[in-house]
Amino acid sequence: MKKKNIAPYFYILPGLLMVLCFVYIPIIVNCVYSFFRLSSYSSSMKFVGFSNFKRLFTNDVFPIMIRNNIYYCVISLIVQVGFGTILALLLESKLVGKAGGFYRNVYFIPSLISLTAVGLMFSFIYSPQIGLLNTFLKNVGLVNLQQSWLGDKKLAIFCIIAMSQWQFTGYITLLMVVAFQNVPQDYLEAAVIDGAGPIRRAISICLPLAKEQLLVCSIITVIGAFKLFTEVYSTTSGGPGNNSQVLGLFLYQNAFLHDDMGMAAATGVLIFAITVTASIIQLRVTRSGQE
Amino acid sequence: MERLKSPKTAVLKILLHLFLVFLVGVIVFPVLWLVLNSLKTNQEMFLNSLALPKKWMFQNYATAWNKGLFHYFKNSILVSAVSLFFILLISSFLAYGLTRFNLKYSNFIFVLVLGGMALSEQVALVPLYKILQSLKLYNTQWAIILPYIAFRIPFTMFLLRSYFISIPKELEEAAIVDGCNSLQRFFHIIIPISKPVLASCAIVNLNFVWNEFLFANVFLESKSIMTIPLGLMAFQGDLKSDYVVMLAGILIASLPMVMLFLCMQKQFVRGLTQGAVKG
Amino acid sequence: MKKNLKKAICVGMACMMAASLVACSGNTSSSSGSAAPTTAAVQQGSEAVVPAPASGEKKVIKLFHRFPDDPCNSFIEKKVAEYEAAHPDITIEISSAQNQPYKEKIKVVVGSDECPDIFFSWGGEFSERFIRENLIMDLTSYMTGEWADSLLQTQMVEYTTADGMIYGVPFRLDAKLFFYNKDIFEDQGLKVPTTWDEFIDACEALKSAGITPIAEGNQDQWPGCHYVGTLNQLLVADDVRAKDYNPKTGEFTDPGYAQALEYYQQLVAYMNPGVNGQTHDMARLGFTQGQTGLLYAELVEITNIKQENADLNWGMFNFPLIEGAGNPGLLTGSPEGFVVSAKTRYPDECVEFLKWFLGPEAGAEQAEEVGWFNASKGVDKNLTDESLKEAYSVMVSAEEMGPWFDSSLYSTVCDAYLTAISDVTNGDVTPADAMTKIQRIAKEAQTLVE
Repeated sequence: MKKKNIAPYFYILPGLLMVLCFVYIPIIVNCVYSFFRLSSYSSSMKFVGFSNFKRLFTNDVFPIMIRNNIYYCVISLIVQVGFGTILALLLESKLVGKAGGFYRNVYFIPSLISLTAVGLMFSFIYSPQIGLLNTFLKNVGLVNLQQSWLGDKKLAIFCIIAMSQWQFTGYITLLMVVAFQNVPQDYLEAAVIDGAGPIRRAISICLPLAKEQLLVCSIITVIGAFKLFTEVYSTTSGGPGNNSQVLGLFLYQNAFLHDDMGMAAATGVLIFAITVTASIIQLRVTRSGQE
Repeated sequence: MERLKSPKTAVLKILLHLFLVFLVGVIVFPVLWLVLNSLKTNQEMFLNSLALPKKWMFQNYATAWNKGLFHYFKNSILVSAVSLFFILLISSFLAYGLTRFNLKYSNFIFVLVLGGMALSEQVALVPLYKILQSLKLYNTQWAIILPYIAFRIPFTMFLLRSYFISIPKELEEAAIVDGCNSLQRFFHIIIPISKPVLASCAIVNLNFVWNEFLFANVFLESKSIMTIPLGLMAFQGDLKSDYVVMLAGILIASLPMVMLFLCMQKQFVRGLTQGAVKG
Repeated sequence: MKKNLKKAICVGMACMMAASLVACSGNTSSSSGSAAPTTAAVQQGSEAVVPAPASGEKKVIKLFHRFPDDPCNSFIEKKVAEYEAAHPDITIEISSAQNQPYKEKIKVVVGSDECPDIFFSWGGEFSERFIRENLIMDLTSYMTGEWADSLLQTQMVEYTTADGMIYGVPFRLDAKLFFYNKDIFEDQGLKVPTTWDEFIDACEALKSAGITPIAEGNQDQWPGCHYVGTLNQLLVADDVRAKDYNPKTGEFTDPGYAQALEYYQQLVAYMNPGVNGQTHDMARLGFTQGQTGLLYAELVEITNIKQENADLNWGMFNFPLIEGAGNPGLLTGSPEGFVVSAKTRYPDECVEFLKWFLGPEAGAEQAEEVGWFNASKGVDKNLTDESLKEAYSVMVSAEEMGPWFDSSLYSTVCDAYLTAISDVTNGDVTPADAMTKIQRIAKEAQTLVE
């Protein structure tokens, strides 16, 4: 009898300890840091109350950051999740048939490339002097459409967002294809017999049955939009002039460039609040889906 | 199944394929352009980046490889392998412990660990940096392996737990009667059955660990232990204006995962399917 | 049941501790691993590396620099290997990072126990923030007699605080000048401009001839601030600038600053399109491939220019003169060098190494192989390259250096200024509005500095 009592703890302890040590304790410590002023090389911390949060929310860059993160979120939902799902439906349709597997693999491959590699690649593609875009426009005679892309205040963040869509739409497509492949064939055949056309079948049968997967994809996309960091770091570092700044990069720069770890911690608390809210929504939805 | 091959269907089919091929072009064309330019000299690339190379400079790839790409590969493989092993082991232990024994607090612990999924890495960055420093792990490979494991446990445990719950208890009861203890039951019964979901967990986690940049950037300093994402940025610094070699290096670094996927794509999709069904 | 739970927890903790012990031993093996490839990679006629003596401990010195690209990287490794061969009791571990990551990394490591013994640091505010935290060793007591005499004092000023504390030794001297394409100038019948108006006329002539006047890329944000820093030197009095660059007293209310931004705007009109969309290095290709007439570049880029196009016929001239409240005698540029950590366990050994590494012999070699000069006198003795000799004479004849703008500023002020310059480059903000914002940030900074 005594043996049984130790064994479960033996299994649970490593995982629990890791999560407590490296996940929970840092959150709590981060919340503490957000009330202090410290830098990465300073030996002391100075208590400053809510001033970090005040400086964060009144910072000139704050609206720009939030706006950029929201742009990323909305566009990714529309393109990666929306268009990706439609693409998945197309690939699974009879019209495409066997070639669907080929297309699916090609679309998926960009998501296997490292984020920094894609960032560096697109820095080249967007380069005003030698980049693919401007050179292509020059060669087809559309010189007036040439831009400085990543150097343009308005376009920079959209260039980065476009890069992300290029990379991850195929990933979502693959996940949705898998979900659609799990739709039982009998439902579809019954619908055909009832005379439902392909579009009707997609909307009334495939989509509802893949609802959970769709929602998981959406929430992952939303959370990813607010954690955005590497894409911007490897292309513009927030420029030109802070116009492509995002929360994740702002945190990093404050911690390691501006010697302001307290502000970084405050930004972290904000990101945490946003991702926790999104995760709670996800859990509620998937749990209600299971019941 | 009736197949009405009307001209309308044929036209639709052609249009659809055209569209899909166009998308393939959107994906492939930029990469092709990069490959093309990686085979030129810097001057050629500057003068016209859309032209074909005058002389095919395959030595750019050799130069890029010799600049240290090998180390970055080696480190990425090492870090990924170790992280993956422990992620799967610890998460399955955790899921096993929570589902196989009727613990009083199993639900509470489940929710507690699951809550870790809500935390984004950036929030933990500053405190983790200070913690790793005080543990003297900064600038070692453990500095990133340990956080990778910790951050992936919640999601992996979540998937495994749902899967384990659906494994019938009868399978184990026979083993208990035979006198197997819990560890033996774990390795001989549960793990073999869970191969599909373990495979899909492995793949999803591998993608995360292989591509992770933020922690690697902050916690690693020596080039000799850098992983590929970080190594590529350092690579860019090393070759500040040797753009063609840099492109070659980026392409080399991106190849393995692509090749791996192409070889294993059947298992990959199957793994995802199984995982999704049980989820 | 409680006793068993406690037991389990103890087992768990023991496992964690065991894991961290393994990690620590893993750490030492990986860090000595990083030294091995560097010494093994160098085989250029240096004596065989003497194996470490069985008795006596090896002193490990960590060196962190920001020159990971060749030829400089190989040069540093070669010199380090030479030194190690001559001093068998010393091992030097080298690590490096490129410019931007270096700025981020160095602050992380300096505050930790893993602080490198010798590391690269820009002079001015960049180092002074570390000095305020007592993280940099005072070299004043070492800097006497022969050593002090062998160094160019105009350059040493950069690594001396207002109180007279010497804290670093330069590794490479640098100055920023306009490089011009002699062939293009000849074809257009232009002569070298000396005043601002002559300069603008020359740019105008180039533009009408269909040639892009100035090549520049401001994606990394520091190139733009070099122009503005020089303009500030010309338009704002020295003492006002000194007051404003000091975070405790900085205000930036002098009208010269807004004027400087306006002059900068004039320059931007003559730059290639897409300035903010490309790096300075990428833009330089435009100059070396003969497509633009001018490039505002650092002397240390001469090596790059030669690498990119050895046939280019180029010359140099100083930034055009503007009559203003400032000091035209300043040459924009700053030496960059190494400092010693205050926490090092081997202060004397570090200083000895720096004396040798940054001395005249190594300097002459450096001038030949890398094209960079250190602050020791007479390092051009073996040079044959005319362009490098000209560059050296510019350095030596400079009366006073005007340090890099971005390393002179406090972190938040620097960020605001760089952002403002970037916006002005794109025409998104007027100079007056930009200065208003900078003034606000400067005021805030006064309270943030301890």
